[in-house]
Amino acid sequence: MKFHHLIAGVLGAAMAATSASAQDFPERPINLIAPFNAGGGTDLLLRGLAPHFAEAIGGDVFVSNMAGGSGTVAASALQGQRPDGYQMAYMSVTVSTIQPQIKNVPYGLDSWTPICSVAASPTLLFVSNDSPFQSVDDVVAAVKAEPGKYVFGSSGPGAITHLTMVSAFAGLGIIDDMKHLPFQGSGPAIKELTAGNIQFFGDTEILMKRGDFRPLMVFNEKRIEGFPDVPTAAEVGIEAPLNELYLWGGLFAPAGLEPEVTATLEAACEKAVASDGFKEFAANSGTVIKYRGAAEFDAFYRAQYEANSKLIEAAGL
Amino acid sequence: MLSALPDAIGILLSFEGLSVLVLGTVLGIVLGAMPGIGSTVAVAIVLPFTLTMSQAPAIILLLAVYAGSVYGGSIAAILINTPGTPQSAATCLDGYPMAKRGDAGLALGWATIASVIGGLASAVVLIFAAPQLAAVALEFGPIETFALILLGMTCIVSVSTGSVVKGLMAGMIGIFLSTVGGDPILGEMRFTFDNWQLFAGFNLLAVVIGVFALSEVFVRASAPVSKVSELVAFKGIVLPGWSLWKGRLRNLGKSVLIGNVIGVLPGTGAATAAFISYAEGRRSSPNRERFGKGEPDGIVSSEAANNAVTGGALVPTMALGIPGDAITAVMLATLTLHGITPGPKLVDDNPTLIAAIFAGFFIINLLLLPLGMLLSRVAAPILRVREAFMMTAIVILCALGIYFVRGNPFDLLVMGGAGLVGFLLRRQGFPMAPLVIGMVLGPTLELTLRQGLILTDGSFLAFFTGHPIALVLALAALLALSLPLLRVLRAGKTHE
Repeated sequence: MKFHHLIAGVLGAAMAATSASAQDFPERPINLIAPFNAGGGTDLLLRGLAPHFAEAIGGDVFVSNMAGGSGTVAASALQGQRPDGYQMAYMSVTVSTIQPQIKNVPYGLDSWTPICSVAASPTLLFVSNDSPFQSVDDVVAAVKAEPGKYVFGSSGPGAITHLTMVSAFAGLGIIDDMKHLPFQGSGPAIKELTAGNIQFFGDTEILMKRGDFRPLMVFNEKRIEGFPDVPTAAEVGIEAPLNELYLWGGLFAPAGLEPEVTATLEAACEKAVASDGFKEFAANSGTVIKYRGAAEFDAFYRAQYEANSKLIEAAGL
Repeated sequence: MLSALPDAIGILLSFEGLSVLVLGTVLGIVLGAMPGIGSTVAVAIVLPFTLTMSQAPAIILLLAVYAGSVYGGSIAAILINTPGTPQSAATCLDGYPMAKRGDAGLALGWATIASVIGGLASAVVLIFAAPQLAAVALEFGPIETFALILLGMTCIVSVSTGSVVKGLMAGMIGIFLSTVGGDPILGEMRFTFDNWQLFAGFNLLAVVIGVFALSEVFVRASAPVSKVSELVAFKGIVLPGWSLWKGRLRNLGKSVLIGNVIGVLPGTGAATAAFISYAEGRRSSPNRERFGKGEPDGIVSSEAANNAVTGGALVPTMALGIPGDAITAVMLATLTLHGITPGPKLVDDNPTLIAAIFAGFFIINLLLLPLGMLLSRVAAPILRVREAFMMTAIVILCALGIYFVRGNPFDLLVMGGAGLVGFLLRRQGFPMAPLVIGMVLGPTLELTLRQGLILTDGSFLAFFTGHPIALVLALAALLALSLPLLRVLRAGKTHE
């Protein structure tokens, strides 16, 4: 990330930078920050988006990684930066609305200028294909019959996978009779689901397809295309706010960005997300595109922050 | 899969295939040799290029960079005592003393041959035994992994040159350093003092580079000028002759086996394998007395094992769709982007692709030998500069590498701090390898211990009663700890 400062500094000195006004934006490369490691889902999404974003805005765009602390290290670093539009992070629902409410991080609701939302993916609750559970009712009956026996996994405490499990089982009223086994990342959790050390896991459709798994329920407003027989959370009796869990992500700049710059970035994002190239990338990677403009995304983000505080409370995190 | 081999060879022999094989391996070796740029970063650097390639070359490029970087790490470890990657830290222990003795070329020769054989053997295992080995990986749950890491921890004793007590203390410091940051089970922040820079804990690479490379620079800078030892003389790789291998093949075979098995188990990795293999070599090699003083078996143990991990790590990745580490996770993501769903059906659904990947992996490991010999020649003139320049260059290279990985200036502070602490500890006779082992193995030890306790409802005894694999590994750990003691006792008796 700071690499860009270095380059920008050198370039700036060389060109004896003239007055920077919003009309000239962008006059140097824009940095898109992935708050996770290179090669992860967020990183790949950004790398898929970056060239189309660059084309749309008519300038250079590069992706950098600043992993750590479930995404909070990058967000914490970005919140203190100058709001000039040259640095944005791709933040998910967890980084932007969950982590700041469960951890003591230096950012919160008002730290950002939301630019655009890019993607959204429903999460599913699933079991191994050789599991005896065919429906959520089976699960509830089994857990109540043998409290303390069954284990659900997550990719880490406070991650979307954890919230999926907690929302499901707290919503079904059986979470106190179950054990939570956190892993580091979805890969190891999927392995243990295959091996049988955990019985339940929850993640996106693309991850579920990695193994021989069977979905029991989906967190979405309506049933999803690929699995028309799988009921939604509300259908199996999970009540609000726990049935409103929703995995989304978008670009955020530090708070206080000039409206003209915001508009330029928003327009570029819309064009990039709608481009054929990005659509093809999304189809290949199982990304569900969900674009929202700056104003709409701001309102959505604030509503989610509010809703998720209730979810966190209900889930007992 | 074998029937798909002709098509696969066709892919490999195409212009795109050949160029990714050679360029990828070259790039991997060079990036691996750069201090601070580990395998994960090396793979991430080439990742954007794979997006526009076709399926097989994309994966082969990643594999070439991966295997090349694991080998490349040994070059810096041997020539300048700076592990290019954490998995080469164990190579420093004998590689550098051997180089200082004037046998740098031979030390690299041992490392090269060991790496090639380790990599090739793992390729063969991958091709012929992936499904069977993947089943083994499934047997290793949290509790079994805990017992394995426990066994790994015993190598702290065997790499503690000088004082075992000081080694254990250094190991504890390493484990403590690894506890900083988010609690893996509860998510609470530990020892961060509300400083978000510490949320992710200390950067392992920054600490490794600090305690090995930077502290070495400080040690040299603090020595009186007249006493400063000559820099390593190096003219190119000298391959060890056949006669030199006499009595060392058993150790080589064992190291390859250790690397393969550990590679297959998700969540462990090449650094763990190198240290465990080194400890095993030190325990069982006929040349064990000379370990730590420039013994070829030490280099072979570490390098054969860490390269054997590369093929092993691909086993669960290809057979189950489960990535063993960050690098194989990148490969799976790349497959996904190319429209291929990784998972248990991957091999059946894409026979040509998988055959090309496996054959490509074999060729990459063969390429390590000529390319390694060629590239290390480039290092020869660099090493002939004056020591002051060399030391400065090492500091700059390390700083650039560390900064590049996360773009976080805080990591530079960590590296500097680790260098200073390492320097002070070394002056007091504390060995640094145990500190690195503690930091590498600490997080997995803690995570699997606590996962296991969740599964057994808090009963530590149940770790061993219901888990035969864990029991055997724990007994092996006990034996490894008591063996030196038994040897002393036996030696005492014969003297009477």
